[in-house]
Amino acid sequence: MNLRNLSIKRKLTLLAMLTSSIAVVLSSASFLIYDLVTFRNLLSQDLMTEAEIVAYNSAAAMAFNDEASANVQLSALTAKSDLVAAVLYGADGRIFAKYYRSGTPTPELPAPVEGKSYRYTGHYMEVFNDVSLRGERLGTLFLQSDMTRWNTRARQYASILAIFVLISGLIAWFVSSRLQGLVSGPILELEQTMRAVSVQKNYAVRAVKTSGDETGRLIDGFNTMLAEIQHRDKALQRANGDLKTRTQELEDEIVHRKGMQEELLKAKDAAEEASRAKSAFLANMSHELRTPLNAIIGYSEILEEETRDQGQPENVRDLRRIQAAGKHLLSLINDVLDLSKIEAGKMTLHPETFAVAPMVEEMITTLQPAAERNANQLVLRMPDDLGSMYADITKVRQILFNLISNACKFTEHGTVTLDVERREGVEDRLFFRVSDTGIGMTPHQQSNLFQYFTQADSSTARKYGGTGLGLAISQRFTHMMSGEIHVASVSGEGSVFTLELPAKVPLDAGELAQAPLAQEPAQDAAGPGGDATTVLVIDDDPSVRDLMTRFLGKMGYIAVPAPSGPEGLRLARELRPGIITLDVVMPDMSGWDVLNELKADPELASIPVIMITIVDHEALGLARGASNYLMKPIDRDRLAVALDKYSTRPEQVPDMALDYSGSL
Amino acid sequence: MPTILLVEDNALNRDMLSRRLIRRGYTVITAHDGAQGHARACADAPDLILMDIGLPEMDGWQVTRLLKSNAQTCGIPIIALTAHALVSDRQKAREVGCDDYDTKPVEFSRLTQKIETLLTAKGVV
Repeated sequence: MNLRNLSIKRKLTLLAMLTSSIAVVLSSASFLIYDLVTFRNLLSQDLMTEAEIVAYNSAAAMAFNDEASANVQLSALTAKSDLVAAVLYGADGRIFAKYYRSGTPTPELPAPVEGKSYRYTGHYMEVFNDVSLRGERLGTLFLQSDMTRWNTRARQYASILAIFVLISGLIAWFVSSRLQGLVSGPILELEQTMRAVSVQKNYAVRAVKTSGDETGRLIDGFNTMLAEIQHRDKALQRANGDLKTRTQELEDEIVHRKGMQEELLKAKDAAEEASRAKSAFLANMSHELRTPLNAIIGYSEILEEETRDQGQPENVRDLRRIQAAGKHLLSLINDVLDLSKIEAGKMTLHPETFAVAPMVEEMITTLQPAAERNANQLVLRMPDDLGSMYADITKVRQILFNLISNACKFTEHGTVTLDVERREGVEDRLFFRVSDTGIGMTPHQQSNLFQYFTQADSSTARKYGGTGLGLAISQRFTHMMSGEIHVASVSGEGSVFTLELPAKVPLDAGELAQAPLAQEPAQDAAGPGGDATTVLVIDDDPSVRDLMTRFLGKMGYIAVPAPSGPEGLRLARELRPGIITLDVVMPDMSGWDVLNELKADPELASIPVIMITIVDHEALGLARGASNYLMKPIDRDRLAVALDKYSTRPEQVPDMALDYSGSL
Repeated sequence: MPTILLVEDNALNRDMLSRRLIRRGYTVITAHDGAQGHARACADAPDLILMDIGLPEMDGWQVTRLLKSNAQTCGIPIIALTAHALVSDRQKAREVGCDDYDTKPVEFSRLTQKIETLLTAKGVV
C-alpha cells in the first residue's frame, strides 16, 4: 500500500507512533549499552579482585611448592559459578595447580602472561595476575570466567526494553489517535463540506472553523470562496432570470412585429394595388382624353385652314389659341403618362449608341421657333470631336427639349445657350449646359424645382403655363441613366441648367427594355434590280433574317439569308456577295469563327463584313478584320450608312425611320 | 390622285381626317370597323391605308396582319394610328408589319409627311 494514499488520520497516527517509538528505542538502546558496558567493567573488576585474593592466598603454597594446598585454594573457587577455569603457572611456565568447573569441557589454556592484565576472548573474560611473595615473583594466576551473568542481564534488560517500547508505542498510538483529530478533524470536515457543495451545488453551506491555525485559515479561505461563488451564482441566476425575461420580451416583440409586418405587407400590397390602379387609371384616362383632344385639335386645324381660305383672319387667331390649348393639354397628358410610368416602375431605358452632335443640332433646329417666339437668340456651342454616346436617345432628347424650351419660355429678348462638352477624366462624361438670360430663380424656388407639380412659384404657371412635371420627369430620366441635373441661378439674371450624363450609360437590367429586335414591315418596294449589290445575311435568328431581308430589299439590295455559319460560308463562296452581315452569337459556329474563315480565304477576304451583335466587342471585331460593327437592336440608319459605304449602288429609298418624337 | 383608305371607328375622327385629306387632294375612302376595312382594302386597292388600332371586334393589328399576309394587298403601305404612346405599341406596329406608326391626336402635317414619304417610295406620287 502506498503511504501517500493513506488517509490523513492514519498518516498522523503513524507519524506520532513512529516518532515516539524511534525516540524510545534509541534512548533505551543507549541506556542498555551504557549499562552493559558498566556491568562488564564491574565483572572484570570483580574477577581481578578475586584473582588478587587467590594469588595472595596461593603464594605460600607456591613458595613451598605445596601443590595440594594450592589445589585446595583453587577449588574454593567452586562457589563462583561463572568461573570456568583457574590455573596457577609456575615461574617456569608449567602448570602448578588448576581448577576446572565441572560439567564444562576442558578449556584451552593460554601461555602465562607476566604482570596484571585482562582480556576478553569471545565468550570469556580472562585475567592474569602475578603470584609473588615479598616481592619475589613465584608464578602466574590465570582465571577464566564465562559471560553468563552478563548475558543474563542483557537478556533481562532487552526483554524489559521490548516491553517498554511496546507499552510506550501503545500509549503513543492511543494518544496520537486521540490527538490527530485536532489536525485531521477540520480537514476532514472541510473535505466533507467541499464534497457536499460539489454534489448538492449548495453554495450556502459553510465549513465550521474549529481552530485558528493554518487549517482554520484554509477553512476561512474556502468559506470566502464559497461566499464569492454564492454571490456570483446569485448574480448569474439573476442575470439568467433577466435574460429569460428579456428573451421572452424579445419573443413577444418578434411576434408583435411579425404581426405588424404582415399588416404592413397587407398595407403595402393594398397600396401597391392602389398605385397600380392609379397608374392604370392614369394611363386609361390619358388615352381616353386623347380621343376628344384629337377632335378638338383636328377640327380647330380644319377650321383654321377653312377660315383662312374664307378670309376671316380674326377667327384664325382664336382657332390657333384653341389648338395651342389643346396641344398644351396633350403635353400635360403625356407628362402625366410618363409620370405614371415612372411611379409604377414601368419606365424603361432603350439605350443605343448615337453621335452626339447631330442629335444636338436637330434639337436646336426643332426649338428655333420656340426661341423666336420670345425674340430669343438660340446659340449652340460645342467642339467638333464630341463623338458618340450610349444612352436612351429619346430620353436625352426629351430632357434637352425640356431644358431648352423652359429657358426659351422664361427669357425674353435674351440669349439661350447650349454648351456641350465631353470630359474624359476618370469617367467619360458629357455635359449639356443650358444657360439663359431670363428671369432666374431665388434659392427657395430652386430648392423645389425638381418636385412634381412644382414651378418656381404658383404664379409662374399662370403667367408662363406648363405642367410643373417637365423638370421632375427630366430629373428622373437623368437618374435612370446614372446622370445628374444641376441648377445655378440668380434671380433676375438668368439660370444655368447642367445635364451631366455618362458617355456610356451603365446597363441596369431592371430599367432596360428587353432589347427587341428592330423589326421592319414587309414591303415589296424593291429598288431597281440588275446592278443591285448582293448582301449575305448570316444570322441564326429567323426573325432577324426575315427583318434584314425585307429591309435590305426595301433599300434596293438583293438579300440572301443564311441560317448558320457553315451555310453562310458555302453561300459566300458560291455567290461572292458584295457585303456580308454577320451575327456573332450563333450555336454551332460563332460569328468570330466565320469571320476568321472568311478572312483566311483569299477569294473572300476582300468582302466587307458588318458584324451585328448584342455583344459590344467593337475593338475585337475590327481587329479581326470586320469592316464595321453594329449593335442590336439594329439601328436602320446606321445599317444603311454602313451598307452604303461598302455598296457599289448608293441609290436609297428615302429614310422612313419611325418617328416617335413628335408626340413627346 | 392617290386613294387613301381610312379605317377609323370614331365618326368625328373619321370625318375630320377625311376632310383634311380631301382638302389636300387625296381620294379618301373610309371604313368604320376592321372587317369593313379589310373588305375595302381588297376590293378598292387603295394606295395607302391609315389604320386605327383601337377598332371594335377585329382590331387594327389583326386587319394589318391579314392584309400583309395577302399577296394581293401586302404591297399597300399601312400607317398605324393609336392613342397609345407606348413603346410596346411601336414594337407591336413593327411586328405586325405596319410601314409606319403615329400617335393620336394626329399632328396633321407630320402625318401627311409620312403619307407622302410612303407614297413616294411606292412610286405613286
